[in-house]
Amino acid sequence: MFDLSTIAWSSFLEVAGTALGFSAVIALAFALGVRLLTNAQHSASLTKGKKSQAGSKNAQIEALNRIGAYLLFAVCFSALAYGLYLILVIDGILPAAGAK
Amino acid sequence: MDPVFIVALVVVIALFFDFTNGFHDTANAMATPIATGALKPKTAVAIAALMNLAGAFLSTAVAKTISVSMLNVDLSAFKDGAILVLAGLTGAILWNLATWLLGLPSSSSHALFGGLIGSTLAYAGAAAINGDKIIEKVLIPAILAPVVAGIAAWFATRLAYIATARTQATRKKSGISTGRSTFKLGQVFSSSLVALAHGTNDAQKTMGVITLVLIATGFQSKDAGVAVWVIFASAAAIALGTYMGGWRIIKTLGAGLSEIKPAQGFAAEVASGSTILASSALGFALSTTQVSSGAIIGSGLGRKGGAVKWGKAGQIVIGWLLTLPAAGLIGALSAYITMIPGVGTLILLVATSAVVWVIWRISQRNKINHQHVGVAAVETAGKAVLSPKKAAKAKKGKN
Repeated sequence: MFDLSTIAWSSFLEVAGTALGFSAVIALAFALGVRLLTNAQHSASLTKGKKSQAGSKNAQIEALNRIGAYLLFAVCFSALAYGLYLILVIDGILPAAGAK
Repeated sequence: MDPVFIVALVVVIALFFDFTNGFHDTANAMATPIATGALKPKTAVAIAALMNLAGAFLSTAVAKTISVSMLNVDLSAFKDGAILVLAGLTGAILWNLATWLLGLPSSSSHALFGGLIGSTLAYAGAAAINGDKIIEKVLIPAILAPVVAGIAAWFATRLAYIATARTQATRKKSGISTGRSTFKLGQVFSSSLVALAHGTNDAQKTMGVITLVLIATGFQSKDAGVAVWVIFASAAAIALGTYMGGWRIIKTLGAGLSEIKPAQGFAAEVASGSTILASSALGFALSTTQVSSGAIIGSGLGRKGGAVKWGKAGQIVIGWLLTLPAAGLIGALSAYITMIPGVGTLILLVATSAVVWVIWRISQRNKINHQHVGVAAVETAGKAVLSPKKAAKAKKGKN
């Protein structure tokens, strides 16, 4: 009879937790980036042709939104790079962090 | 029979399995970007092929496959090792082709394990099978992997939709959009990562099988790593198979399970990639097919108003349940055929070729290619929103 206690359940939980956490963080970061980018595009369309104070405020909002969006996309790219790093570590091409 | 002939035969059959593995699993990474129009079908399969090729070269560890730990025999020292592997590969190939014909995304790895387990049972008996390892390494992950990926994809989809939500009134008033089509760009990267992870996992299994046979027949010493020609041949076979595009399975995963929007596709791939990489890092070999299918179902449920075709999902699950025993049964039958003195291997070869030909003929009656994977609708929609200037240009170009 198979003994279920021999299974490394904690490792399964670790996989589940990691997958859930990573997916949530990346999806949220990308989605917020998309939102900020559309905000920036919207502000840009409002600024077009305006030289008033409202126009410069819109330009500021656009810049802030754009910076925020690019920072969030950078988080996603970092996650992608970490994924690549993991592939290389798993295959033994790169030494794991902390390995002697 | 001449050992050189046997080895050559096993290498060819193993590479053919690698080829079927490629086209069977193209959908894992590329079904959703094709379905959402993030990538054109031909471009998608070309990227997947390149990523699989690169992934195959990234793999350096010898025969990381867990199939060996599931068997209590050392195939490299087993007298009939080469023939046993040949019979196992036959089981895996025929099951892969049958499920491809039905458009079912079943696990190529499970088919390989099943085939090898079946042929080992026939050759060495039940004592040669490590049942506990099969439960631990195959059955339990097979149940948990799609569930984990599904929950992760559901959650990621919900978050993506909540974060980009704007009420219709806001959109009408300000003319601002949700920007969700931007997820298509994210899909290009996320699907490429899934394809790369697939290449590092699956091409390696074929390399391991060929190396085992080379050792078993004395063509290679036990200490030597994977021969360079084996790496090149395996990488080329999986890449070529991937480029052929298993359009039937792409159709099932891209449009047969749920209607996928770009944000859902992105969430599904991120969930698949995270699950595969987290499990690999912790030493579990999960089926990329099962993970991807689970993620697509999860993302289908994650969108408000999204629906999953449970009938198709049920068929896929039945396919998963049958993969190990069915491939095992074909592997065992193939092994018994090879035991016929003198002509056994030849009979197996002829019978396998005949079945492959029949499957191919049936597939030609109901041909499915890149034009049938839902992109036509996307292209038509794209034409409908062309500006008058662009539409005139397109018309001019056509004429």
